[in-house]
Amino acid sequence: MKVLVVIMSLFFSMAYAAEINVKVQGMVCSMCSQGIQKKFSAIKEVKSVQVDLTNKLVKLITNDGQNIEDAQIKKVITEAGYNVAAIERK
Amino acid sequence: MLSYLVGAIFLLSSLQLAAHPVIYKGGTVLSSQSMEMFSDNQISYSFHQKWAAGINLWRFNEDDQSTEFQLLRVNHLLKRWNGDDYQGNIYLASGVGAAESRMGYIGGVEGDWETRTLYTSLKFMHFNSPKVADVSMTQGRIGYSPYEADFDKLQTWVMLQGMYMGQIERTVTVTPLLRFFYQNVLWEVGSSLRSEWFLNFMVHI
Repeated sequence: MKVLVVIMSLFFSMAYAAEINVKVQGMVCSMCSQGIQKKFSAIKEVKSVQVDLTNKLVKLITNDGQNIEDAQIKKVITEAGYNVAAIERK
Repeated sequence: MLSYLVGAIFLLSSLQLAAHPVIYKGGTVLSSQSMEMFSDNQISYSFHQKWAAGINLWRFNEDDQSTEFQLLRVNHLLKRWNGDDYQGNIYLASGVGAAESRMGYIGGVEGDWETRTLYTSLKFMHFNSPKVADVSMTQGRIGYSPYEADFDKLQTWVMLQGMYMGQIERTVTVTPLLRFFYQNVLWEVGSSLRSEWFLNFMVHI
């Protein structure tokens, strides 16, 4: 039993950061897209946000062992005035 | 004073008047633009991704006279089209307040369509205050950006603006201008074909 606890502790301590690519529609203006970065940066699970206008992508890196639900991502993008086309997790 | 304010808020919610951008929920816009025949200063807060409210000061200059509107204003994003490479918008706005110590109203509609290198917009606004002013403004813009700047780079636009305010100036005022934006700041500078300066500054907070 002790061995199992140790193995599980090791497993959870090795949890990685998630990389999430969000394909966004309507993102043509850098000034207008600032809200996306501002809102995602305010989420505690998010370590970094990169907005890529060329590929219409928002790349999110979470803190180690943390994640964000699709629903929360869609809420942030919608409140910024855009549409989510796809969410891809690595 | 209270009844005046309640009346103003009621009218504000029932009119569909002038237009101005609505930004992301929780964002604030500060803007100031001026030309010889007018100046427009605004602060608005987007309490929803489709609604913003704020304060708007308009001043019209005609010969040696000027007329000022001090307004509470509501802007509404009526429709947005988000495509892979474009965005289109229709905005409505309304405002009510004072114009030279009398009630004043503004309203209008604005549409725009843009890609990363092309921009078009058309705006109509009407300003009214009984016995003080009755002014309509129609403004159209086309713009081209010679390069696609990414999120953290300076974006530059060349634009041509046409503006008509028949009650103040009988001809269309054509103004070539340059637009720049960098991160959350936009500024525009131009000069009409009659050599009138046009300046615009906007910041998203």
